[in-house]
Amino acid sequence: MPESSVRPASRRRFNAGSVATHAVLSLGALVMVFPFLWQLLTAAKSLAETAKVPPTFLPDTWNWSSFEEVFTALPFKEMLFNSVFNTVGRTVGQLVFCSLAAYAFARMRFRGRNVLFALFLSVLMVPSSLLVLPQYDIIQRLGLLNSAPALFLPGMFSAFGTFMLRQFFLTLPKELEEAARIDGAGPFRIFWSIMLPLVRPALAALAVITAMWSWNDLLWPLIVNTDPEKMPISAGLTSLEGQFETNFPVMMAGSLIASLPMLVVYVFLQRHFVQSVALSGSKS
Amino acid sequence: MSVFPSTAAAKAAGRRKPAAGAPAPGSRDQRAAYLFVAPLGIGFAVFYFWPLLQTFFYSFTEFGAFGGNTWIGTDNYVRVLKDVTVWQALGNTLIYCVIGLLALPIAIGVAALLNRRGLRGVAVYRALYFVPFVTLPVAVGLVWNWLYNGDYGLINEVFEWFGADRRYWVSDPSTAVYAIGTVMVWSTTGYYLVIFMAGIKGIPRDYYEAAELDGAGPLRRFFTITLPLLSPTIFFASVICMINSLQTFDLIYIMMAEKNPAIGDTQSVVSLFYKWAFVENAQGPAAALAFLLMLIIAALTLVQFRLQKRWVHYA
Amino acid sequence: MRRRTLLYGAMAAPLLAACSGQSDDGEQSGGRTTLSYGVWDVAQVPGLQKVIDAFEKENPGISVRMELTPWSSYWTTLKTSMRGGTAPDVFWMNAVNLQLYAAGGVLEPLSGHIKSDATPVDRHPEALVQIYAYQGTQYGIPKDFDTIGLWYNKALFDKAGIKYPDATWTWDDVRDAAAELTNPRQRVHGMAAEMDRQGQLYPAIFGAGGYVLRDGKSGFGDERSIEGLRYWTDMIDRGWSPPQSAMVESKGRNRYWSEKTAMYYDLSAMAGQMYAVPALKDHGGVAVLPGGRERATVIHGLANVISAKSRKKEAAWKFVHFMAGREAAEIQAAAGATLSSYEGTQDAWFKSMPEFELKHFVDMLEYAVPYPSSKNTAVWENLQYPLLGAAFSGKGGIESAARTLGEQMDRALKEERA
Repeated sequence: MPESSVRPASRRRFNAGSVATHAVLSLGALVMVFPFLWQLLTAAKSLAETAKVPPTFLPDTWNWSSFEEVFTALPFKEMLFNSVFNTVGRTVGQLVFCSLAAYAFARMRFRGRNVLFALFLSVLMVPSSLLVLPQYDIIQRLGLLNSAPALFLPGMFSAFGTFMLRQFFLTLPKELEEAARIDGAGPFRIFWSIMLPLVRPALAALAVITAMWSWNDLLWPLIVNTDPEKMPISAGLTSLEGQFETNFPVMMAGSLIASLPMLVVYVFLQRHFVQSVALSGSKS
Repeated sequence: MSVFPSTAAAKAAGRRKPAAGAPAPGSRDQRAAYLFVAPLGIGFAVFYFWPLLQTFFYSFTEFGAFGGNTWIGTDNYVRVLKDVTVWQALGNTLIYCVIGLLALPIAIGVAALLNRRGLRGVAVYRALYFVPFVTLPVAVGLVWNWLYNGDYGLINEVFEWFGADRRYWVSDPSTAVYAIGTVMVWSTTGYYLVIFMAGIKGIPRDYYEAAELDGAGPLRRFFTITLPLLSPTIFFASVICMINSLQTFDLIYIMMAEKNPAIGDTQSVVSLFYKWAFVENAQGPAAALAFLLMLIIAALTLVQFRLQKRWVHYA
Repeated sequence: MRRRTLLYGAMAAPLLAACSGQSDDGEQSGGRTTLSYGVWDVAQVPGLQKVIDAFEKENPGISVRMELTPWSSYWTTLKTSMRGGTAPDVFWMNAVNLQLYAAGGVLEPLSGHIKSDATPVDRHPEALVQIYAYQGTQYGIPKDFDTIGLWYNKALFDKAGIKYPDATWTWDDVRDAAAELTNPRQRVHGMAAEMDRQGQLYPAIFGAGGYVLRDGKSGFGDERSIEGLRYWTDMIDRGWSPPQSAMVESKGRNRYWSEKTAMYYDLSAMAGQMYAVPALKDHGGVAVLPGGRERATVIHGLANVISAKSRKKEAAWKFVHFMAGREAAEIQAAAGATLSSYEGTQDAWFKSMPEFELKHFVDMLEYAVPYPSSKNTAVWENLQYPLLGAAFSGKGGIESAARTLGEQMDRALKEERA
């Protein structure tokens, strides 16, 4: 391992630096986590306390019943299932469709490439709510209103994901492809078994980002699936919102529970950010 | 003329003549490329381009609340351009864009720190920085409104301790935009962090090891290795960040109560679009506004793509 | 706590019921017609479920299933689903949207049905029924109503040694009391002059003899209307009420609940929530609105309407007809979440919170002014807060702000007719 030969030389500076690093990172982490903590504290308050002036920070009395009540208040299981379905559908769709197109845009030459890429990017440039009505019409014409596929269909196609993966494909050295081509590998083989594994960190990042977006998406599910049975949890939680006042403790408890699967997904996927790509071996 | 950067291969083939090395139409590579793009292209055509075309047509019509269009030419566009609130919203939007871009250096810095070899608790930090992602937007609004609270908020307590005056941060027209911008940076940093962490992991470790052997310190390694090799990712993130912050809406919606006296001073173009399209039943002008915004975003994106040749290093 | 259990029950009922089976399209299941009923208020769901149970008992061939959409997305969702025909058969309508939907031809006209079935529309407050008529045709039948009353904190009044508000009170009495009750050291204000159209702006405008909308013209530039608005801004300028900028984070309602403001104009619908705050249950009170030049309050209420696209209109009408009757009103009133609009059915609601003298809300029906609306109400309503915000924050005069608002509103009204 080459690492061990480097270490002794810089050990001292490394330690001094790491104290400062920890200080900066911890402070940042606190700022990032604070609203999440607030969510936890609010979930432990009584409804009346959440409306108090001046607002309280710590609950007057700790009351965890909201966490139980959320299960009786919402059909949590069904909604969780819809959320999973929606999230998996969009994430898998984007990973497949975007990586294929991104690879072509980054590494293949074909007529109309730049025009097509610009056209694809234009999708990012309009507010997504502009297209909600016509998209609704299409889902209706497909006879898919109030169905599970309605949730994820348009979300499977993403200009964001295509652009992101294209950037990562662009950074790969071209020698790899050429070597494979000389060995007689076809375009799909090169894509699938040589290039795709090299952008795994990017795929993991895209998966995380897409999963988060899908999990939290609100407007589209509410519009396309009016049937509560077919709603994901993000939309379900908003039904705790009253016209005048909202039941914050139960809403916060519900959202904390709903966010647990996402944290698990993240912890699982982040291993892939950690692993460096084994480029060095093939380069030499 | 090529608008977008040619790949490394194309560069090698000759900068100004991207077509020179292109395979002949109908060749195997060409066909493969179309097959690679087709699935996404079909999805886009159905769910995005067709709706986009339809909406573009609507932007030239008077649009009934429940269907029915009458052609009115460019009236909607004229109305949008003449509306002072549009220009005010555009000004606000540009401020959001500038503030929003601050998330990038922060995220790069944190990503670089998290990449330090031998740093303990990296996994914990990564998870913590991810938390804003899973925080319910309503909770984000609540907690920040509590922090900003003019009478009882923590921020005012701190300022008062230093001898400054209390302020109604989100209802004072002179501070509200910046108050929202701050929350915007907070809420997007973790998101760019995920992208940058992936980008940094794509940089081969041996570059760092070689530099370390040459005696390069952490700062020097950051500027000579991390930044240049991360530049394609930074470029991507800055385009996305610009586009997203020019479309700021959710945060304003969450942070600004309807009765906030500063609401006009914080309204973004997309908040105005949302109000017109979904509250005031003015879909025609709303569509026109959206297309004007698209034009601005497209122009700025084009500039970014043009400028990238000067600072983005592809392999 | 009462409200909590009520809410949980409410939230559990519709969604769980919706998930407990039944074929989802609902056209026919075992020879039964299933109606969908679109509502937005989670608090009313348990009461409505009881009404539905009674209706289903009487009409064994029909079942009704509620679709709860949160307020914040109710109208967007509804408008969209109108396009695709997935709109509920029967749904809630409010004053702001009635004319828009009626003019758009998406509501079933009810006048003919009302006549042939002798639906007791005349037993509901006339001012309210009138809101749901458009160009001489009735499109909705009210189910409940809201008026604004003066809520006050008896303990704070006792501490200041002031008599409680009653039906003899005028604006001068309010001002005197507000001055006395304000205690800057305790951060207690006499009043919370919130910039809210239904709770504060409109009642004061009507009380001053002004108007909001008359014959297609805005009343905001009217002298009397301005006088009404000044009733509020004056209290802010004198420090008897926090400025609007301070009520963004700590709303007037929350200040009243937390005993930080002694008086507050608020909806009858808030009674349940107030009752759940122990201090207010103990020493909260309510009175009719004090008189300005005139006695006035604002009345609004929700109505049931039928979608013109419904394929089950006959069953839908049976349900709406049932909802308009005495039995339904009484069941709803007993549930406590809302005040039924059917004449003489409010007793159960009064009794559900005996500590408050809720009958004042019904006493005010005599001079209640309907919530003003036109075809595109939202457009001119959206002009109000941005233009009046500065004056309600102690920055800039109310008179010029109100006149500007009047001009801009007139322009919006003209556009609406074009």
